[in-house]
Amino acid sequence: MALYDQIIKVYPQLTEADFLPITGTVELRNDSNGKGDYIAKWQHPTLPEPTAEQLAATGA
Amino acid sequence: MTSLINASNSAGVIITSDTSGNLAIQSGGNTVATITATGANAGIQVASWANPAFSAWANSTTSFTTSVNTKIAFNSKEFDTANCYDATTNYRYTPNVAGYYQVTAGNIIAPNTSGNRWLYLYKNGTFVKTIGFCPPAGINYSQTYGAGLIYMNGTTDYIEIYGIQNSGSTLTNAASQTDVYFQACLVRSA
Repeated sequence: MALYDQIIKVYPQLTEADFLPITGTVELRNDSNGKGDYIAKWQHPTLPEPTAEQLAATGA
Repeated sequence: MTSLINASNSAGVIITSDTSGNLAIQSGGNTVATITATGANAGIQVASWANPAFSAWANSTTSFTTSVNTKIAFNSKEFDTANCYDATTNYRYTPNVAGYYQVTAGNIIAPNTSGNRWLYLYKNGTFVKTIGFCPPAGINYSQTYGAGLIYMNGTTDYIEIYGIQNSGSTLTNAASQTDVYFQACLVRSA
């Protein structure tokens, strides 16, 4: 499961707007170095950045 | 010591030569530019064969997971005059001359009817310019092209190109020399 899908599963209340470039509260990034997607920015006003345990619990 | 070419206010052009290997260009006796064995100062503003330039393109595809800002793997070079572009590991340009660089890039993403596509210029790992945007193009590839002007210090500064789409699905760009490219050249020295 992609990181984006994992995050949505943890926080279904997140919207597409949260992931919009520049104006969004969350930025996911992939540096094309084989290390996969990661959270580059988490600036949501109320939801804390999900932990590795929360993401793992989504069944990925 | 310096050889001189002086556009005098009273005597026309006065040439004074020595064996220093240095040259100063003067106006009314005031030096406005100098040339030495190591280069020219800021008084000389001409396009030079020594100005770094490169052009790279993607000869394999990059997958863009929805809403993930993804570095585009421009993994093949057309030219790289100063050998400053890394086409194998980091897909980044680290020019070796300080100055202002014109950057251009293009990307095309597989047809899809949802979301938008953006193309970004990153400097030293940080977003600095949006250089392309387009809405979904339906049955056609979505095309994002653009340019930016950016200062580079000639030692550690590097630039990269990222793309993002939010169709809700993973989409792939094309492997294309004509449509998926990353280029830069020095247009003014520091």
